[in-house]
Amino acid sequence: MRFFAFIVVCLTGALLLYGTGEFPDWGDPNSPASLHLSNYYIENALNDTGAPNFVTAVVADYRGFDTMFETAVIFCGGLACFLLLRDFREKKDHYYRHIPTGVILHVKDSQKPLTIGKEFGYMDKDWVPPDLIIKTVCRILIPFIQIYAMYVVAHGDYSPGGGFQGGVIFGSSLILLAISYDLKTLVKRVKERVLGIFAAAGVLLYAGIAALCMLMGGNFLDYSKLAPLVPWNSHHNIRAIGMLGVEIGVGIAVMAVMLIIYINIVSEGRHDEGL
Amino acid sequence: MDNYPALIVVAPFIAALFAGLFVWIDERLSYPIALAGLAVSLFSGIQVMIQVIASGPIQYKLAGWAPPIGIEYRIDLLNAMVLILVAGVAFLNLIASYRSVQQEISDRTGSYFTVYNLFVTGLLGVSITGDLFNLYVLIEITSLTSYAQIALGDKDRGPLASLNYVFIGVIGASFYLLGVGYLYMYTGSLNMADVAVLIKGSEGSSTVLTAFILCILGIWIKMALFPMHVWLPNAYTYSPTAFSRVVAPLMTKVMVYVMIRLMVTVFGYDYIFNTLHLSDAVVWLATLAVLAGGVMALAQKNLKKMLTYIIVCEIGYMVGGAWMGNQLGMTGAILHILNDALMTFALFLAVGNMVYRIEKVDITDLKGLFGKMPWTMGGFVLAALSIIGVPPTCGFFSKWYLILGAMEKGAYHFVAALVISSLICAVLFFKVFEICFFESGSPDHENSHGPVAIEDAPVSMIIISGLVSLSLVVTGFYSGTIVNTIILPFLK
Repeated sequence: MRFFAFIVVCLTGALLLYGTGEFPDWGDPNSPASLHLSNYYIENALNDTGAPNFVTAVVADYRGFDTMFETAVIFCGGLACFLLLRDFREKKDHYYRHIPTGVILHVKDSQKPLTIGKEFGYMDKDWVPPDLIIKTVCRILIPFIQIYAMYVVAHGDYSPGGGFQGGVIFGSSLILLAISYDLKTLVKRVKERVLGIFAAAGVLLYAGIAALCMLMGGNFLDYSKLAPLVPWNSHHNIRAIGMLGVEIGVGIAVMAVMLIIYINIVSEGRHDEGL
Repeated sequence: MDNYPALIVVAPFIAALFAGLFVWIDERLSYPIALAGLAVSLFSGIQVMIQVIASGPIQYKLAGWAPPIGIEYRIDLLNAMVLILVAGVAFLNLIASYRSVQQEISDRTGSYFTVYNLFVTGLLGVSITGDLFNLYVLIEITSLTSYAQIALGDKDRGPLASLNYVFIGVIGASFYLLGVGYLYMYTGSLNMADVAVLIKGSEGSSTVLTAFILCILGIWIKMALFPMHVWLPNAYTYSPTAFSRVVAPLMTKVMVYVMIRLMVTVFGYDYIFNTLHLSDAVVWLATLAVLAGGVMALAQKNLKKMLTYIIVCEIGYMVGGAWMGNQLGMTGAILHILNDALMTFALFLAVGNMVYRIEKVDITDLKGLFGKMPWTMGGFVLAALSIIGVPPTCGFFSKWYLILGAMEKGAYHFVAALVISSLICAVLFFKVFEICFFESGSPDHENSHGPVAIEDAPVSMIIISGLVSLSLVVTGFYSGTIVNTIILPFLK
């Protein structure tokens, strides 16, 4: 069996190599890929869309429909994590820590009524004492990371960046919060419900802007029809504004999905304790 | 309204997102929203079909950019038929499956309807698009959502079946993507019609040949052509009822459509049959697929699993017909996309009804089912007859075209395989009928001769199941019309 697999792998490799036989040279300016459409994009992207970064112009406008579904793929990932991992069952045993002394209480049957004072805190099974340095550094860093994330989203049409990258950076700032403190701190600040709504609303913002173009009498995603909706805009290309809108939607969706995936995986779907 | 083509895909997509939003606000609203999205999609599909029949293929420029620069939707008769089929089956199944979703996935129904609608969006997008890369993106959505839904099924076997599917499905999708990459290297374009023009005249190119092999292999893996079928039976057997009912009729058929689209629109008959001479080899492969599917179906003890092997067998029919290299064979293959989707849908609807009542559908569990669920069994019998290919039902007509095509080419081995597999299906189904009809369900002997209490599935499930089963006969009667108005004009 293994030998058979080896032969199949070799054959596939040979096929791929055979296929490269007629490839254009590396970086050849006369290759079809750089002659057929690229020229159009490079020459006209700025005039057509008003986005100086023509990668963004291709991703968010010329082929914006693909990007909408790529965002939907991300959304599907978060949704699949929720569907498969989320565990609504009550947990049987709980751990409480007496905060002033550090004594740990293990309650085996959580159904039994338990009266403990306020000085007991609910904690993870494998809890470690917080480190002051890590906590402080992260607390200082997180807001800056988040501002940077928004910068990456907003500047997508001028410099490398955009919704996906910005969303990931924003999401990771919150994951940093969960790692430096604990998961409960994050879950307390960012409710599961909010994440669920944000994930759907982000993609919906993209699809909504696209559908709005349709309601304004254009084709789906044809941002140029949005002009009457922003009458105060005089010196920006309306397509660039449309792109900014969808990038923000992508950013929100990606941020929320990152967190949904992280929380569900580290807490095995229980949303209470984790890394 | 010029936006019907976009609405077909966008309506269920936006409905899915709203359904996902309402999971967190009021979960009961998710279901009607999802249903409304599919209804709009079905309506738009019918409108598009009317336009296409009246005035020829429709082009829809997404974002308003002309084709090679932007993405286009191009709808001809074949697309329009597949679109209506997908939207219709998904819509009816959502009505029929409401109760079984409540029964099987009770604590996360809203999210389930979201993922269901996204799956259907993916299938619709795959069938409508005229862009090779857009096709890949939507295959990705379809696959991701189906992995999630399969894993939600049987507690023990579902996740493992899904994992197997993930491994093989990812390989299939990356083969396709790699093929598209090679094509892009060679042409610099992603639009199907544009690529077709650009590769004309470069029949000897090794890059085009590799791209062709990779694309077709990827799609074959995705459609579970024997011997690449190993993921399918478990994945479809252990998924939730609501999902197995929609994936079994649609997923493989949409992939057959993609194969035909690549053959007809992108690479062209001339390249495949006159330059590469692939017809004989692939028809032999299809013959093997038909026989292997039939024989493996014989060995099954579980009804649902037996049906999944029949799907493997039917894939062989369609691939064989499409690669026959003549018009009759292709007609048979396209007609069989429609017919097989309906037949499989009817069978899985009936099986879903059984699962709703008796949970396990090993063939020995079906004793006395005619008495207990007469309506469901009626639908099942009709669908089974159609799979076997008994004349007034639609299954007969597509098989007829396939046999004619094979005769014209002289592929008698394929004809023999078709007949043998039909006989195997007859044996299989009559075995099931016998157990359901003659063997008594109740274990105690005193009551075994008395009347059995009728305990059929809920009305919504029976009505849909009955309607679809009757549609098999109706489609059978109108086979000539379908061939003359849709398939033959498309093939010209």
